[in-house]
Amino acid sequence: MNRSYVVLMVSLMQAPLLRAAPSDYVFLPSVSYGEREFDFKAGSSRNPGEPRQSAGSLGFGYGATQRWFTEIYGKYERLQGEGLRFDAWEWENKFQVTEAGEYPVDLGFIVELERPQDRSEGYELRAGPLFQTEFGRLQLNLNLLVERHIQAASEPDTEFGYQWQAKYRWQPHLEYGLQGFGEVAKWNRWGSADTQTHRLGPAVFGKLAMGDRQVIRYNAAWLFGVSEGAPGHTFRMQAEYEF
Amino acid sequence: MRWMFAIVLLTPPLAFAVDTEFLLVIRDHRFEPQELVVPAGKKFKLVVDNRDLTAEEFESHALNREKVVPANSRVPVFLGPLAPGRYPFFGEFHEKTARGTLVVR
Repeated sequence: MNRSYVVLMVSLMQAPLLRAAPSDYVFLPSVSYGEREFDFKAGSSRNPGEPRQSAGSLGFGYGATQRWFTEIYGKYERLQGEGLRFDAWEWENKFQVTEAGEYPVDLGFIVELERPQDRSEGYELRAGPLFQTEFGRLQLNLNLLVERHIQAASEPDTEFGYQWQAKYRWQPHLEYGLQGFGEVAKWNRWGSADTQTHRLGPAVFGKLAMGDRQVIRYNAAWLFGVSEGAPGHTFRMQAEYEF
Repeated sequence: MRWMFAIVLLTPPLAFAVDTEFLLVIRDHRFEPQELVVPAGKKFKLVVDNRDLTAEEFESHALNREKVVPANSRVPVFLGPLAPGRYPFFGEFHEKTARGTLVVR
């Protein structure tokens, strides 16, 4: 075990248990029936005095019904100065509860099951409601997520996190706005301010039509840590090839 | 701040009636009618009726909607309230022919 891993492990022990990967993205409550996609996500973050942490995933998803989208990911991570290493398998299931625009707030639900390569972490279950609404060209999203390790070596806690975004739908190929992510540790007993991780920053979004039912969607954000427990800077991006 | 999250979690989407409905037919990979007039400032339901043997996707960036309509099926698309103007839409699977406009007055 080299020095960078020691630094990372010490910092993880000091941080809340739930620590989002830099490649995390904002879930949307809508489902597109019959859509198939390859999904690539990547991100990188760094705290002062710690090695840069990078993470990413490659997945395949399918809109199985008008209300259910399912996706399988392989996740990887990399510490500065180290090689790429496989991190986990993840199975994501998204359920569209209401039709877009049917009610003032659109509702969806996400359930993710992750199997980390480190078997002592057991399984990681993440779930929660997804909300979306719009005011003209402004689209707002808020997701409230709980996470719990199952069959882990350590005593599990149920932890709470959130995601949000505000997007101005300017042009199909270029939209812009803000994104935010945060974790507060235990859902019923939030951690102290210096252990909570709150990040927010500018984001861009877009869709490039390739013809013949092929589309590339992208979104990316540069996030600034706004709490002591959060990385100072995080870059995250997602690109999807839909067909 | 916690009570704000609790309210959001416990408050179901507020139900309201959509009493106005319009029909948009897809036939031979074209929308009928190609221009549909709808009222400004009101919510309404657009029923997209695909009478083709292949699926189509109703799509509009101006309306912020993407909805797949399977072959020989109807799907609802909830829209509004909209400001007066012209809102183009198209069928993503047959974009060359499936084009239309929602005219809001």
